[in-house]
Amino acid sequence: MVRFLLKRLLHALAVLWVVATLTFVLLRITPGGPFDRERRLPPEVLANIAAKYHLDEPLWSQYARYLKGIAKGDLGPSYKYLDRSVRDIVADTLPVSATLGLLALGLALALSFPAGLTAAYYQSSWTDRLCLFVATLGISLPSFILGALLIWIFSLQLGWLQAGRWGEMGSAVLPSFTLGAAPAAYLTYLLRSSLLDTLGEDFIRTARAKGLRESRVLFKHALSHSLIPVLTVFGPLTAALLTGSFVVEYVFAIPGMGRFFITAVTDRDYPLIMGVTLVYTALLVSANLVVDLLYSFFDPRIRTR
Amino acid sequence: MLKIFRTASPYAFAPLAFLLVFSCGRSSQVGGDKVLRVNLGTEPPSLDWSLATDHVSFNVIANLMVGLTEFDKELKPAPVIARSWDVSEGGKTIVFHLRDDVLWSDGKKVTAQDFEYSWKRLLHPKTASEYAYILFDIVNAEGFHRGKIDDDRLIGVAARDERTLEVRLKHPASYFLSLTTFEVTYPQRRDVVERFGPKWTEPEHIVTNGPFLLSSWRHEDEIQLRANPRFFLGKPAVEKVEMLMINEKTTALALYEQGRLDFLDNHSIPIFEKPRLAERQGFRRVRQLRGYYYGFATDRRPFDDVRVRRAFALAIDRSVFPKILHGGEEPATSWIPPEMLAHNPRIGLSYDPSEARKLLSEAGYPDGKGFPPVTLGYNTDEDHKIVAEAMQGMWKRNLGVLARLENQEWKVYLHKLQTDPPHIFRLGWGADFPDPDNFMRLFTSLSGNNNTRWKNPRYDQLIESAAREWNGEKRVQLYNQAQKILCETDLPIVPLFTTAESTVLSSRFTGLEYNSMGRLLLHQVRPK
Repeated sequence: MVRFLLKRLLHALAVLWVVATLTFVLLRITPGGPFDRERRLPPEVLANIAAKYHLDEPLWSQYARYLKGIAKGDLGPSYKYLDRSVRDIVADTLPVSATLGLLALGLALALSFPAGLTAAYYQSSWTDRLCLFVATLGISLPSFILGALLIWIFSLQLGWLQAGRWGEMGSAVLPSFTLGAAPAAYLTYLLRSSLLDTLGEDFIRTARAKGLRESRVLFKHALSHSLIPVLTVFGPLTAALLTGSFVVEYVFAIPGMGRFFITAVTDRDYPLIMGVTLVYTALLVSANLVVDLLYSFFDPRIRTR
Repeated sequence: MLKIFRTASPYAFAPLAFLLVFSCGRSSQVGGDKVLRVNLGTEPPSLDWSLATDHVSFNVIANLMVGLTEFDKELKPAPVIARSWDVSEGGKTIVFHLRDDVLWSDGKKVTAQDFEYSWKRLLHPKTASEYAYILFDIVNAEGFHRGKIDDDRLIGVAARDERTLEVRLKHPASYFLSLTTFEVTYPQRRDVVERFGPKWTEPEHIVTNGPFLLSSWRHEDEIQLRANPRFFLGKPAVEKVEMLMINEKTTALALYEQGRLDFLDNHSIPIFEKPRLAERQGFRRVRQLRGYYYGFATDRRPFDDVRVRRAFALAIDRSVFPKILHGGEEPATSWIPPEMLAHNPRIGLSYDPSEARKLLSEAGYPDGKGFPPVTLGYNTDEDHKIVAEAMQGMWKRNLGVLARLENQEWKVYLHKLQTDPPHIFRLGWGADFPDPDNFMRLFTSLSGNNNTRWKNPRYDQLIESAAREWNGEKRVQLYNQAQKILCETDLPIVPLFTTAESTVLSSRFTGLEYNSMGRLLLHQVRPK
């Protein structure tokens, strides 16, 4: 196990290095710089700004400085938010995104498991069709439409919940639902399809023939066996939800990290783009590692391979 | 089925219950009479007025600080901290006499030394301020910023004593007094900046002198201000201001409709909601000192021929813009915006399609025949697209020419303008300070903002002469001549319209001032 973990850790570091390097290179070859403005700056002003942020150094030197900073946990200063470092920004915003992501994830699991189970168990019944219809709706509706629709119904028409002001009463309900809807729908589909395969297996027939209670057959034998495909998507899904969503944070005015995946690029805020990309990669790699460990828990055959 | 639902139901309800529990954080309340809630739209990039460059930051700073002057209703500099000023040596020396009752928030007096420090900090190469160039008219300022002069005592700004600030200019600059209305010239406390470094603008450190004090700053979420009891012009009537950071206009409007926001501007009003909100009692349209123009690449065929440029300008019916943009845009044929010195609506080319066709024919393209393919570039934005499509239609209809539309992401677009501008391109300009020099200097030969690559020594000379002229009437005459070159004879650009800000203030308040520079001033706000 220790050898496995060490191997995975080295793998994770290699992935981080590749992502860091690719991000650095891609940003430098993208047209437009961080200090290109509608009112163009005089050359001497630009020279001082370039010197302040070491942008006047050769690219290899900037790259070395960047890697050295990462190794020390210093992600550099933001070019846009001039009084703050990237580390400050991530520290302020990641917990907010992670909280919202956890709520959305919890909601997705809470909705998808009963729906997937019911749909698979009562295949082709009206319940199954209803679950599939709602799941299709959840996948098809873009989050900006769903968010706007929820605001219109629950904030403007009914006045039950408010649209923004994160942290105030009721502020998490609409964004969590908007963010969790698509994953809930996707997980429902996945679980239903996986359960349908499992319920046709010989070992389920044997369990029933032995006279086991139906709930035991379903929850203990069928469900645990059907979780492998769900677990496979669970890693990337968790990383994506925890690091925030641009659309949901934008629509509901949530002070999270997700918005920076877009705004930092349009601002050409190199250190911030690299910072949020690395945080996302680190979370993705960690979540996948946890999923790999869970595989062996749910399916002992994987451990022996 | 029931059995399964019984087993599964606790899974479903536990997170929902958690959602509600989590949501019971700060209590939600509609603001009282003494709490004003406005929307900034986004996080201010910096509250350090030597580094700030954007209207969001300046909208906060303008309520935390005051400077030497502010501009009055006629856009002329009026005294604030400066009680008066003397101009001597033909306009090359300005001496500001300061009030002695202006206090910082920690009780110390605002002195001339605070201005000297702030201006020198703005110019210091290590500050790397984007607005350093604004003070380059001061003796040795540019050399100091370039690093050619190390001794900051050689810069032409000095506190003669606590109440007297002397500024020496390289040459007379009649707009210099207007510069002192700009936030980047506000005073700073050396002890605070040097002690706390980049964190000096955080609420626990910052020291200010304006009508409000910075109480808290929850990044990406909310800034809270409280009334400054020491403010020398009197404590504001509202005790507290909450400045929210809501990007999405629909969300901001929803909060306004629920009574959780008290003020909306263009950054908070969806375009399709403007006609409806215009019916409200607190609705106002405020003219902005911001122009919108199309430029021509004058060094490339076919726009190297002034007849073609004139034909394109004459084929524009500007009256369509307010109808398609719904924002109170005012059609403009000249470049200096309304309300600013030397604004002259009689200058420029008005809609005349038959004259436009005639000119295009003279240039060798009768009814647009043989006209080379041309591209109209704009940065990706719904309003710019609407304008570009309208222009494309007008040119097709009136000249028989089809311009190909090309939109690009903002930074890519800016890069393209610098390296290889399209035949026709869109840009805008908002005033940094309310003086025509700020608009007209854009198109001088050496200006970095002149993307048209047009040069006219006569125009350059007129702009320089106007800048050095202190007599208002003579300045107007010089700018009239320059505007005629720019908008009638040479026509490297076609001004299209000036913009307006749509604002709505809750019926609970009065006295909010949104000025023509896009500043939200809250000092005079009071409950009705």
